[in-house]
Amino acid sequence: MAKRIAIVEDEAAIRDNYAAAFEREGYVVDAYDARGPAMQAFDARLPDLVVIDINLKDDVEGGFELCRELRARAAELPIIFLTARDSEFDAVSGLRLGADDYLTKDISLPHLMARIAALFRRLDALQKPQSTGGRITRGDLEIDTDRMTIFWKSQPVGLTLTEFWLVHAMARYPGHVKNRQQLMDAAQAVLDDNTITSHIKRIRRKFVAIDASFDAIETVYGMGYRWLAD
Amino acid sequence: MNLKRQLLLVSVLTLVLPWAGYQFIRETESALRAGQQQMLAGTARAIADSLAQYREEFPDPAGSDYTVGDQLYGHRLETRPEIDGYFDDWTIERESLQILRGVDGPVSFAVGVFDQAVYLYVEVTDRNVIFAQPGATTPDNGSRYSDRVSLINTSPLYLDEMISFSAEAPGQIVTVVQSEYAIRLDREILAYWQDVPYGYQIEARIPVSKLGTHLGIVVSNTAGELESPVHSVSFAAPTPGPFVTPSPKLIEITANLAQRGTRLFVTDASGWRIAASGDLSAPSSPPGGAGSAWLRIAYDALVESGQEPALAEPDPSGREQQDYIAQALDGSESDSWFRSADSGKAVVAVAEPIKVNNTIIGAIVLQQGTEAILSLTNQGLVRLMNVTIIATLLVAATLLGYATWLSRRIQKLSVAAEEALDADKLRSTLPSASAGDEVGDLSRSFSHVLRQLADYNDYLRSLASKLSHELRTPLAIVTSSLENLDHEPLNEASQGYAARARDGADRLRRILTAMSEASRVEELMEHAEPENFELCAALTTTVAAYRDVYPDRSFRLDTDPDTTMLRGSPELIIQMLDKLVDNAVDFSAKDDTIVISLRSAEGARLLTVSNPGPPLPEQMRSQLFDSMVSVRRGGDDKHLGLGLYVAKLIAEGHRGTIEATNSEGGVTVTVTLPGDTNGE
Repeated sequence: MAKRIAIVEDEAAIRDNYAAAFEREGYVVDAYDARGPAMQAFDARLPDLVVIDINLKDDVEGGFELCRELRARAAELPIIFLTARDSEFDAVSGLRLGADDYLTKDISLPHLMARIAALFRRLDALQKPQSTGGRITRGDLEIDTDRMTIFWKSQPVGLTLTEFWLVHAMARYPGHVKNRQQLMDAAQAVLDDNTITSHIKRIRRKFVAIDASFDAIETVYGMGYRWLAD
Repeated sequence: MNLKRQLLLVSVLTLVLPWAGYQFIRETESALRAGQQQMLAGTARAIADSLAQYREEFPDPAGSDYTVGDQLYGHRLETRPEIDGYFDDWTIERESLQILRGVDGPVSFAVGVFDQAVYLYVEVTDRNVIFAQPGATTPDNGSRYSDRVSLINTSPLYLDEMISFSAEAPGQIVTVVQSEYAIRLDREILAYWQDVPYGYQIEARIPVSKLGTHLGIVVSNTAGELESPVHSVSFAAPTPGPFVTPSPKLIEITANLAQRGTRLFVTDASGWRIAASGDLSAPSSPPGGAGSAWLRIAYDALVESGQEPALAEPDPSGREQQDYIAQALDGSESDSWFRSADSGKAVVAVAEPIKVNNTIIGAIVLQQGTEAILSLTNQGLVRLMNVTIIATLLVAATLLGYATWLSRRIQKLSVAAEEALDADKLRSTLPSASAGDEVGDLSRSFSHVLRQLADYNDYLRSLASKLSHELRTPLAIVTSSLENLDHEPLNEASQGYAARARDGADRLRRILTAMSEASRVEELMEHAEPENFELCAALTTTVAAYRDVYPDRSFRLDTDPDTTMLRGSPELIIQMLDKLVDNAVDFSAKDDTIVISLRSAEGARLLTVSNPGPPLPEQMRSQLFDSMVSVRRGGDDKHLGLGLYVAKLIAEGHRGTIEATNSEGGVTVTVTLPGDTNGE
């Protein structure tokens, strides 16, 4: 059965473009231009994935509100913010509300499609019994490539999709310096230097929250980052 | 001229105070003096009236057959002089000697009166003294050949004789009296001839009873037997004028009239002093006391000086010729004022004519010291000066202090305003902002202007990120439409257009990313957690990376070994270096060497990036690090003039500064970072 994707976006041109792209990929698309109609529809039926803009017409924080309500109803529902707001503060707020990814509208459609596909893949993997097929282990690090989850010292690290891909890219070949461009490609995103810096910072923080002595990600100034082998 | 000097100049106006006080003191003094003069004049008038009844004691008013000044005046002597040819036992001053012109030099003489006798003293300068032949003292046998002094002794109508003094040798001499009818020796007249180196001196005593009313002196200088003698005569007229001598009776009367501290003269109608009594010596000790010498000087400088007090003294010649006395003798009451600059002794003098039946027979002169006035004005002056000095100092000090305070406030304000401008802290509170005066107004206007400037700067700063934010949505429409278009069947031409449109959109996206970079850096900085890190090591790897990124440039890294640790965000510092190196690469040519150095200076870290290349235009140097300012020529889509702005944001985020200088043949950008590694 085709996956159902809901787009809540006040800008008709973008909404239609995304809807067209999603449909081309075989998804069923429900498009809404405001929070009210979207919630009404979600009351009746929850979609499989939601793409939300933060700024919905006059409802400046409408996307955040929508995310909170959705997350309250469905803990597992993949939610992606797709917005023109690129500030660190908004990204942190969005992710804290339980969004699975926070993307700016710079992202290209193929990249967006890849992410959505990945999220669905993860969702599917979570529903299957655990297999050992797609697992990478690097010392204390365990990467479940199917479910796109990462464990550090056997504890799950709650990473977003982008963050997962970044760690995955680095940890696959420990000791190799990954430059920014390589990391960007791996994360299926066009990010600038500062965004990568913020991402790495956020990733480190998440690992440190589990293990205060975590220092496996090394900054190689002027070049990039690398995962330190034990 | 600064405010302090201006106000100090204004404080000079307080010098009006002493001037006003000085005017007041002068007024007081002249009022007091006028009062004293009037009182004195009243006394003088009373005395003049009372003296008018002693008409007989006054000589007759001057006749026309003699010259007044030629009259002989008999000074009152206090003691009886010894007849020895010397003047030293006379109780009058040598200034009293009258002087005639002689052949060989001056002839001086004086006439004195004591106890019914008239004394004569004559000093003759004579290079060749010729004595009378022995035994020839009688006038008929050759006395004319000797040097002699003769006293012309006449009373109009009944006496006309000549008393001659000549000597055969120095010592006691015998006097010859020659009248129209006889020549005789008079042994009651004592005379002494004293030889002195320059001539001779004669002293003689003549009983009053032998003298007439008119006297004159003739000194004859004989050069030899055959020469006619040369006469020096005391009178110009054919006959001598009346002999004037003080009146004992008037002296006795006036002695009772003169009060303490008052001096009184009576003159006859010609001004000859015929009585004098009293003296000016102060009745009490002089006021003011010690230590007031400077005050005296100040006083003398301030108060009208008057005439020299010496002029108030009795004339040694016996004849008073002062203007005010002469005026009195002309019939009008007059006064004068004497004061010495040295002693401060002041004398008020009034002269009053003595009239009998409208005929002036003489004048009375009354003089009084003004110690009382002097002390009064002195004390006033002391007080005035003290008060003035205190007031002036107080006013000057107050004004100076006020000016200092005011100018410091203004200076602080101007410094604060400039600092706010320079340090880009346009919203800081300026000094005096709460003051209610004009400086406060100025401060508030300044603050207002600075705030507006800050708003404008903020607007400029956020312009790029706002713009990029607003443009992102339409760009997303364009790119998503183009990406959808890729999936549509297009002919070859359409595909070309679509590809170009994609390129354009891509470029646009890059521009927007660059534009919002500054605000992202600011955000990063807010959330950055400073850490101590090895800047030196970071630089080494970074420079190695640059060598790969820019293969057609050489890089050199100079570091001080002791500057390795730095506190801050390493990513941001490296990002700043990226911007600077990017810039350096753009402005240098192929194969140039870009030098990156890290040094330590005064506790700060100096990170410099130097590149050979064209110098920066001077007028751009200060704006170089501002948002959207670029010195690149021509359009270059990558550069919006944000790179150095980001570098500046990072430097300032680390409490550092950044500046660009033109060095020899190139440009050097210097970032100064505080060197403490254990900050917050």
